[in-house]
Amino acid sequence: MLRVLRAFEQEALEYVLIGAAAMGFHGLVRATEDLDIFIRATPENVERLKRAFRAAYGGDPNVDEISAVDLLGDYPAVRYYPPSGDLYFDVMTRLGEVASYETVAAETKEVQGIRVSVATPSALYRLKKGTVRPLDRQDAEALRRRFDLKEE
Amino acid sequence: MAVQRFRTIEEMAAAPVVVPPGDGFERFARHCARYWAIAPRVYPRGVFRFRTLAEAQAARERVADDSTARSRPRRSPAS
Repeated sequence: MLRVLRAFEQEALEYVLIGAAAMGFHGLVRATEDLDIFIRATPENVERLKRAFRAAYGGDPNVDEISAVDLLGDYPAVRYYPPSGDLYFDVMTRLGEVASYETVAAETKEVQGIRVSVATPSALYRLKKGTVRPLDRQDAEALRRRFDLKEE
Repeated sequence: MAVQRFRTIEEMAAAPVVVPPGDGFERFARHCARYWAIAPRVYPRGVFRFRTLAEAQAARERVADDSTARSRPRRSPAS
């Protein structure tokens, strides 16, 4: 995980971490199988993402299948399973009509010298409370309690 | 919160543990590593694309179901 976050920083990827990993940064710890990120939807940024994945995963040729045409077009969500086999990445450019890199409030956190762009607790709460998975609703409730967020 | 109450095991398993935010991510990474060691998954390789979150969620569930099926011990045929 840290290797990938370092590669994101080295490639100057414009992203924001959401999901369980972001919750971890805010002190709410639960296991997950994936890292979820929003990226800025530009062809240049998709290239940065691909360079970061290649750097982190020994030039995995599967990364070539990630396409700006998809992410900026009809396929705003791409899942990448790296060769390490221990986790996977959900990369999104937008979620429905409202959520995107530009609309999710983020703050910079640091772990082992790596700067990481992380969605704020209230942004995570807003993303999670409206989704259908029970797990997300539980996360939303934990965020609301921990950060004394107003129910929306 | 010293005590949390849960109605089901599933609810308990999914509930985040509250820790000081300073070392939250490293604890999260260790927690995931333990989880992956205890409940290893078999994932496909490569890149998959989705039009909607619902599509992505359905694919995630299929992979989880396949992985669970593979990890179950096979019964030997009755002799």
